[in-house]
Amino acid sequence: MKASIPVLGLLAAAPFVLPGFQVSLLTEILIFALFAMSLDIQMGYARMFSFGHVLTYGVGAYITAFALMNGWSVPAAILVSFVLVTLLAVPIGWLCTRASGVAFAMLTLAFAQLGYAIVFKWNSVTGGSDGLTGFVRNAGPFGFEGFVSREGFYWLTLIVVAGLFFVAKGFVRSALGTAIVAVRENERRASAVGYEPRTLRVVAFVASNSLAGVAGSLHAGFLLFVSPEILHWMLSGHVIMAVILGGAGTLIGPMAGAALFVLAHHQLSAVTDSWPLVMGVLFITVVIAAPKGLWGIKTSLQSVFSSRKEKRMEADNVTP
Amino acid sequence: MSLLECVGLTKKWGGVAAVSDVDISVASGEVVALIGPNGAGKSTVFNLIAGATKKTAGTVSFRGERVEHLAAHALARRGLSRTYQITCLYPDLTTVENVRLTIQARESSRMNPIPSRAMLARTTDEAMHWLGQVRLQRHAASPAGVLSHGDQRLLEIATALALNPKLVLLDEPTQGMSLDETRGTVELLHSLLQGSEMAVLLVEHDLEVVFGLAHRIVVLDRGRKIADGSPDEVKASPAVQQAYLGVGHAAS
Repeated sequence: MKASIPVLGLLAAAPFVLPGFQVSLLTEILIFALFAMSLDIQMGYARMFSFGHVLTYGVGAYITAFALMNGWSVPAAILVSFVLVTLLAVPIGWLCTRASGVAFAMLTLAFAQLGYAIVFKWNSVTGGSDGLTGFVRNAGPFGFEGFVSREGFYWLTLIVVAGLFFVAKGFVRSALGTAIVAVRENERRASAVGYEPRTLRVVAFVASNSLAGVAGSLHAGFLLFVSPEILHWMLSGHVIMAVILGGAGTLIGPMAGAALFVLAHHQLSAVTDSWPLVMGVLFITVVIAAPKGLWGIKTSLQSVFSSRKEKRMEADNVTP
Repeated sequence: MSLLECVGLTKKWGGVAAVSDVDISVASGEVVALIGPNGAGKSTVFNLIAGATKKTAGTVSFRGERVEHLAAHALARRGLSRTYQITCLYPDLTTVENVRLTIQARESSRMNPIPSRAMLARTTDEAMHWLGQVRLQRHAASPAGVLSHGDQRLLEIATALALNPKLVLLDEPTQGMSLDETRGTVELLHSLLQGSEMAVLLVEHDLEVVFGLAHRIVVLDRGRKIADGSPDEVKASPAVQQAYLGVGHAAS
């Protein structure tokens, strides 16, 4: 956590030194990082594998698009889509958690495909396969222009993503968060001492999906364009890859994994069309060689160094 | 009024009666052991009481309330805790966290989404106290999964007792322990239960454990209750000697 202040400082200062397209790239990274972190809450902490995490992401994006079209300010649009997505996640979570394991994953996929089909077919409202465009980042009723420009929206994204990271960090340390981990580790033991596994799974699902909704909302505000592509199952796969690459169950790991994923996509797709091949090889290597992900490598290196340091200090103490 | 009152417990698997018409009661502060030869239905009775198996007939009342329809977490809230015959812990979490999660579960803030250092410190302190009771403090920071089998059994007992239950069901607590570990566990349980209001229902193979701890012994044979009384009465019962202790044991 000591590193968080300098990192945030650097990120906040970035628009002053970086060219515009790199600010856009950073915005994209932050949004995908939030999306991956949100999935980590259910995948890493509750071990519920969702193949349909795009559903709430996409719905959040569409709601934001509608709100911006109706002249709402950017923060208000994000807020309303957060609330609506959370309300949507409750019944879906309640239904999906009737199953567990593979069946749960298939149910989440089914709901996401349902969302994709609705958005794709409902031309009059969602614009069908063309998607929605032609909306702008409104200043809103108070005429606050701070979040309208590219740089302004970047700062808003940074504030939201950093804020939600600390909220999530607190959540997983809270009584509720540790109870979710207890159910993950041993459902029978957890219920024998009085935790309700089903309720806790629904809570993890809703917490995870409401944050995914915020990420989708930022996505819409960033690109000012939404299409059924953001509800496509392939994006669910990409975000799972980001979580596993970075290291599930750490929150920050999946964010790093997401950053790597977006950067690799940008750099590799400029060089070769078969960039998914390279990502695939990297993914397989990480899964086999470092099952705890890239953040797991960092943690184990750190513990090696600190134990060496301790040993050195002990040796120093013994020989005065 | 008994704490736990089971009347006419019956479990049939198809046409075979694993348990038929068993009555068991446990009073507050009492240690009751359930014994019987292999296949006598001890574990079935145990699971019927804990709600893990659906019974064919009979009633289970806990503190005057019918509880047979309740899920495990609801039983836990009412003060009924249990251990499992096959160790049931959070193997990847630290030993102290294993106990702390139990303590947190009985607090009203167990569903609080806001982290609280005070709650964490308080529950951790109490968890350390329980680890001290079962002499596992030195393993507090190790994952529970790396403890020896005997230590895991002790941790499981600590996890069940930390709930401060009115009644704890112990399913073969010394299962798989060495002789020394078993003796140590019996002494430990004895001292933990001394002066406590907690009642215990114990299923155990090891007769040394049973006679060392129980105030009262219920003997099952082929799904039926054949004796129910003090250790001395049970030892003296001809039916028990024939079914369980064996003629040689009775003579000695």
